[in-house]
Amino acid sequence: MSENLIELNNVRKEFVTAKHYPGFKGAVKGLFSKETITKTAVDDISFAIQKGEMVGYIGSNGAGKSTTIKMMSGILTPTSGTCVVNGLEPYKERKKNAKNIGVVFGQRTQLWWDLPLGETYTVLKEIYEVNKADFEERMTFLNDVLNLEEFMHSTVRTLSLGQRMRADLAAALLHNPKVLYLDEPTIGLDVVVKDKIRQAIREINQKYNTTVILTTHDLNDIEELCQRIIIIDAGKKIYDSTLNQLMQDYGDNCSIVFEWKQTPDARQADMLEKLSGQFAFHKQENGIQVRFHKKECTVAEMIAKIMGIVEVKDVQIKETELTDIVKRIYQGSEGKAI
Amino acid sequence: MRKISRYLSLYRIFVIQYIKTTMQSKVDFFIGLSGFLISQAAGLAFLYLVFEQIPSMQEWSLEQMLFIYGFAQLPRGVDHLLTDNIWMVGWQMVIKGTFDKYILRPMNIFFQIVCEKVQFDALGEILVGLVLVGRAIVNGTVQVTPVKIVFFIVSVTAGTIIYTSVKLILASIAFWLKDSSAIMTTAYEVADFAKYPTEIYAKPIQAVLMTILPFAFVAYIPSTFFLIDANLWKTIGAECLVATVIWIVAYKIFQKGISVYESAGN
Repeated sequence: MSENLIELNNVRKEFVTAKHYPGFKGAVKGLFSKETITKTAVDDISFAIQKGEMVGYIGSNGAGKSTTIKMMSGILTPTSGTCVVNGLEPYKERKKNAKNIGVVFGQRTQLWWDLPLGETYTVLKEIYEVNKADFEERMTFLNDVLNLEEFMHSTVRTLSLGQRMRADLAAALLHNPKVLYLDEPTIGLDVVVKDKIRQAIREINQKYNTTVILTTHDLNDIEELCQRIIIIDAGKKIYDSTLNQLMQDYGDNCSIVFEWKQTPDARQADMLEKLSGQFAFHKQENGIQVRFHKKECTVAEMIAKIMGIVEVKDVQIKETELTDIVKRIYQGSEGKAI
Repeated sequence: MRKISRYLSLYRIFVIQYIKTTMQSKVDFFIGLSGFLISQAAGLAFLYLVFEQIPSMQEWSLEQMLFIYGFAQLPRGVDHLLTDNIWMVGWQMVIKGTFDKYILRPMNIFFQIVCEKVQFDALGEILVGLVLVGRAIVNGTVQVTPVKIVFFIVSVTAGTIIYTSVKLILASIAFWLKDSSAIMTTAYEVADFAKYPTEIYAKPIQAVLMTILPFAFVAYIPSTFFLIDANLWKTIGAECLVATVIWIVAYKIFQKGISVYESAGN
């Protein structure tokens, strides 16, 4: 038996819309024409996720992230392919599946807008048939990690975005779901609140072994939370691996910025020129930036080489950031597509 | 059985939450209620004006017309009271994607929509309906017998189901067209025709009221059973049949609609 909690096999989702024409004449024409446009939001995606994993699901706007999450949570039915979550096809066994999952959409709330926050949890307790003991245990835990108490009696619409997000996260976890889908959970939040949310997600994952699937545009979320990353672009999966592997594959590029104490004289400039045949040098105001592959040269060697030639005032070492890597992967996939 | 009691208790919880919400704006409640009472008064004034000119209409006296008018308010009022939130499906939920939340909860979706709101404005309609039916009883326009009381309740229930089903079908169109509020508003106007005897309308309108928008069955046809002892099967029996069929059709369309629901992008 496989341990896979979530399995997507060749999942595809197409949206068919009627073709629209510009202008009033166009509107009339559109009314009578049968032409349609098919947009493939998710194109033949397969992956499997094991119990307890925390997976970052990323892609640019409109790449198909939310569409995939919506299929995994039962909101959308795939055009073809199968999606199985905890042994169920979400869109076929909606009610059973709903008990297994918790969903937080960063830009929407499932809280009762006009009521004190506490009321939402009482209602959710009934909806999900959580018994009293479990309810109290979980509320205590969620209170601990999310500090809900300070605004438990405030009306939801008066909460700040950060408070609302924490409250929404708690609402999604009250029934202790096996899978938690987080669609941009930190969007628009300040650094402190982001940190709190991440901390809470980590603790929840550890305590309940909850499988977490996270979409975000903030790659720090991924770096801090996920062991695995799946990247999609234009509906296609273009990368799926552990974060460590990703760093090994792409992260061994390094760049060092040197600031000169004195502008190099002709002889030094000449020696630098020789080196620049080997490595990528970019002249900067009052210094240079060197980019190289760590397999070719270690950071220490590179610093020694340069400092052997010119007297240096300051050195900055920049490891490749996840953002850069992801950018390169996107660009790579575009290249392939062309 | 356990399921029913669970849903009943959930209904109670949702309604209490809704009432708490509306309590926060009592003014709204009274404005809504008085708005309905005013529109009802205008409707009745219209009837009187017409009858000042024409003493009877297609064999119906003013008192009988008032009974039909009042009787028509009851299923409409009950439908309005209990299932008003269906409007939001056709109007906003599908196009904005807020329908998502119902799919994500382990409860019947139709139930979730319906129990999210109780439209207390509808009490105005129900009140007018009860007053007019009461008046018809007092002045002898209709006779009260135990059998008639039972069928009265059956008829109001079936009428409510017809109203709700039509509303559900039209709202479900939004799953395909994104917004069906214009269609719903039109149908709601047509529903106004239910307040008067169907025969007074032109043939094409009669045909519509007997078929695609079967509002003839919610009040006028069953009212003839109470007013002139028309055949039970041809009146209330027909009403119940129509209610059953249209409900099944409506629910199927609604479910089909959910399966093609496309949500909305963020």
